[in-house]
Amino acid sequence: MTVLKTSLRNFFAHKGRMALSGMAVVLSVAFVCGTLVFTATMNTTFDKLFADTASNVMVAPPAEEGEGGMFDDEGPANGVPDTVPASAADEIAGIDGVDRVTGVVVSTSAVAVDQDNENIGPTTGAPTIVSTWSDIELRSMEIADGSPPQGPGDIMIDGDTADNKNLRVGDPLRLVTVGGDQDFTISGIADFTVTNPGASLLYLDLDTARDLLLGGQDAYTQLYVDSTGEVTDAQLKAAVADMVAQRTREIGLLRALGSSRRQINRSVLTEALLLGVIGSVVGFGAGVGIAIGLMALLSAVGLELSTDDLTIDPSVPIIGVVLGVVVTLLAAYIPARRAAKISPMAALRDAGMPGDVRAGRVRATIGGLLSVGGLAALAAASAQDEASAGGGLLGLGVLLSLVGLILVGPALVGLVVRFIATILLRIFGPVGRLAERNALRNPRRTGATASALMIGLALVVGLSVVSTSMVASASDEIDRSLGADFVVQPTVMAPVTEEIQRAVEDVDGLTRVTPYRDIDIEVTTPDGGEEEVTVGGVPGTWADDVALDVVEGSMDDVLGPGGVSVDSDFATEEGLGIGDTLDVTFAEGGAPAALTIQAIVAPDSALLGAWYISLDTVTEYVPADALPLPFFFFATAEDGQEDAAAAALEAALDPYPQMEVMDQAEFKEMLESQIGGLLNMVYGLLGLAIIVAVLGVVNTLALSVVERTREIGLMRAIGLSRRQLRRMIRLESVAIALFGALLGLGLGMAWGVTGQQLMALEGMEVLEIPWLTVVVVFLGSALVGLLAALFPAIRAGRMNVLNAIATD
Amino acid sequence: MATAVVDPATGGDGRHAAEAARADDVVKAYGSGETRVTALDHVSVSVERGRFTAIMGPSGSGKSTLMHCLAGLDTVSSGRIWLGDTEITGLKDKHLTRLRRDRIGFIFQAFNLLPTLNAAENITLPMDIAGRKPDKEWLARVIETVGLADRLKHRPAQLSGGQQQRVAVARALAARPDIIFGDEPTGNLDSRAGAEVLAFLRRSVDDLGQTIVMVTHDPAAAAHADRIVFLADGRIVDEMHHPTADRVLDRMRHFDAKGRTS
Repeated sequence: MTVLKTSLRNFFAHKGRMALSGMAVVLSVAFVCGTLVFTATMNTTFDKLFADTASNVMVAPPAEEGEGGMFDDEGPANGVPDTVPASAADEIAGIDGVDRVTGVVVSTSAVAVDQDNENIGPTTGAPTIVSTWSDIELRSMEIADGSPPQGPGDIMIDGDTADNKNLRVGDPLRLVTVGGDQDFTISGIADFTVTNPGASLLYLDLDTARDLLLGGQDAYTQLYVDSTGEVTDAQLKAAVADMVAQRTREIGLLRALGSSRRQINRSVLTEALLLGVIGSVVGFGAGVGIAIGLMALLSAVGLELSTDDLTIDPSVPIIGVVLGVVVTLLAAYIPARRAAKISPMAALRDAGMPGDVRAGRVRATIGGLLSVGGLAALAAASAQDEASAGGGLLGLGVLLSLVGLILVGPALVGLVVRFIATILLRIFGPVGRLAERNALRNPRRTGATASALMIGLALVVGLSVVSTSMVASASDEIDRSLGADFVVQPTVMAPVTEEIQRAVEDVDGLTRVTPYRDIDIEVTTPDGGEEEVTVGGVPGTWADDVALDVVEGSMDDVLGPGGVSVDSDFATEEGLGIGDTLDVTFAEGGAPAALTIQAIVAPDSALLGAWYISLDTVTEYVPADALPLPFFFFATAEDGQEDAAAAALEAALDPYPQMEVMDQAEFKEMLESQIGGLLNMVYGLLGLAIIVAVLGVVNTLALSVVERTREIGLMRAIGLSRRQLRRMIRLESVAIALFGALLGLGLGMAWGVTGQQLMALEGMEVLEIPWLTVVVVFLGSALVGLLAALFPAIRAGRMNVLNAIATD
Repeated sequence: MATAVVDPATGGDGRHAAEAARADDVVKAYGSGETRVTALDHVSVSVERGRFTAIMGPSGSGKSTLMHCLAGLDTVSSGRIWLGDTEITGLKDKHLTRLRRDRIGFIFQAFNLLPTLNAAENITLPMDIAGRKPDKEWLARVIETVGLADRLKHRPAQLSGGQQQRVAVARALAARPDIIFGDEPTGNLDSRAGAEVLAFLRRSVDDLGQTIVMVTHDPAAAAHADRIVFLADGRIVDEMHHPTADRVLDRMRHFDAKGRTS
């Protein structure tokens, strides 16, 4: 009873401190609860959406391995989706119990362009989906204006796209498809009656769709089967061999989202990340609030989730609270256990704890050993000459060095804080010295407080080193080996059609245009094994555009008839040499080929592979209609005509807004921003970790200020001004933060450099230390220290001198 | 202003040339209305320069409050306080802090020293804070006087209670303040260590010309002073010059008896 009372009194006496600790818990709980509520709500939304179609069955061609069929990110290589023959629809319709079969044609290999030559589809990653209009669509759409497409010139678009781009019935649209470009007039606008998945939907009539999207095949991409429920999958499979029947619900979900499961996961993760940042205020309640907020956020990008569907699984609060409580208890348990070990007299004496010294030594020894082990693992990793073995060592090294440094941290406080003080704090004279001594007086506390910051910064620095090196390696490689002036590639998921290729080739002032295609092949190795490889299918001009690191042989020979270049690692492993024959099967069909190895290429390129086959060889075997579309082009201008050629290229591609022309500098920038974009997401997550770290520093300082009430009173009595007192606390905070930053920087550098060494095996040869980031991180940490000290310093300044020095 | 005529030579207004500090009709009350408690009830007192003054009284008599008010650590409800020729009532915290730093020395009963600094650093702390260089000769003399020469590199935790108080005395003396305030400086010490510290205080008055005001309830400690001011219930009730421990004890018994009968 009394214990409870005392605890309660203590709790309320330290409201501020409790609030701080609570904040860290709230932050984590909100993150977890928000994510759970959000995903549950999403599922509910789609469950509802497809509840009425759940008895239906969809029949579609089988997805090839490693490819998600038509919903795959990259789409089919030749831009034409796999199909079900129209005759299959009739066969299924003949099965007993089948009421109706609806065939549809759907493709994502198209781009719609308005009269200003602007892409009307989403450019953020969601697809443009072109399909036929049928009753199936009425389950999720209703016609708001005009009429469905009825002839070759008609196109119906979804209402959201129409609103976004200010399009009306009667406006012209041009569709860029693998079947060629075609002009349309908007015949109607259909609104979503359900959640808008964020994609642009375009509807054509069946014949037009088959012409443009399927290359004129008399086929569908999938069949929707309405049945009485007695029809089994086996019956369907028997009726249509090699087809896959799947319950609609699952596919429907994908369809509604217009993207693959992978994309869903990715978006949920991304949003959860955002969620964590947005909702860092109040635990479970906030978690629910955040989930609602997130739905609003998603509706801004087109995906409208209704809050009526808000699903809070009973397990959510339980998980959130249990997590929060367990973590908090654990976090509280360790210091509490330590405190309980101290004898009451020692606690009263207010002196150092003798037992602590030995425990500290044991801890430091273990930490030291782990750190050394971790560094050894890192060193071993960078000495590896095979990436896979090094990866494991890298992981081990990162883990050991992290845990080791956290443990050994308090033992390093003395040395490192003195170093920081020598160069920084002592400028501030006696106040700096007091701050230094305060930071040193409880090394365990300083170490523990700083370790949170250390972890976050180590990750930031490690990732920056790797990514900066990546960019530097890529730019270096571009400088070194790229002979072409321009790179032409699509900015969104869109097919590079023949018209586009022709437009590029017809540009005046270009000496050569080299299309690059990814060709999937299966290689039969000398020992009879089979290996899947993606090779570059390129014309002879490739050798002029790219200077590859050819170990043996010549690229000119590779790009002649029947030649192939192989990875030098592969050649060594399989004991293959120049002149040997390689049996190859093309994934896109055609007869098996026996190709001659004409060059062995070192796999040291960060951008391009080592395997090539000439385009002529590919077309010799692969049927023309299955030939993959180009992935990008290299283009080279006549000497001195670069600017004119660039302008001409831009002009030629004006009708194709999905294509982008980049010169070498722009290409480098694009690579940089791609890697940078990826990093920003990681930095966001780390930002959250750093906020928690800052809260830790605030908490520690607040605790220290309360503990040192008497000292502060004494100092104020003998003449320390408020301003000096505040500065002292700020400097202590800065010392703690910089301690964490230094350790984090060191650790991050070690990780990053090791990572780069490993990736050098795969072509990322340039090590570049992002000094700017390092400096920013260091200065930022000092700033973090200042910020964290803000409230504790003000609080200390407000302390009543008399209360503080009162001896009773 | 009361200090209309200032004599620059003495730093006083003529009438109070030998005054280090003065309280004039000071009232200090806590709370208001029914719960109002008067700690100091119209107290006027003058502290002479170069003398050792003790303030005595039973618990709750207001002796510590009086010292805090004189030292600029606490504000008064009414009345005025002078430190030398400076009126400190109404001064802002910034000025009061500077005043304490530059012109006042403190010795508290306990927790006098910063645990993170060694003895030497503690002694020079007020001057360090002020950014002043200590007078080396003076510092050596003070350290010698308190007998700490071989303990300068020790941290407070490595010193005995008596040694800690001697460091505090040295700190108070080192900056040559106008006045040193001691709040039960020997309260936590055994009698031998206490006597030692008191002897240092006495000697600093006699040899170094220091002004000291000490709050105590210990007659033996008070007997080291030149003059004792007795406080009871927030008022000055008596005064004694050149006290001895026996006379002080007598007087205290008298108060106690009076306190019990009234």
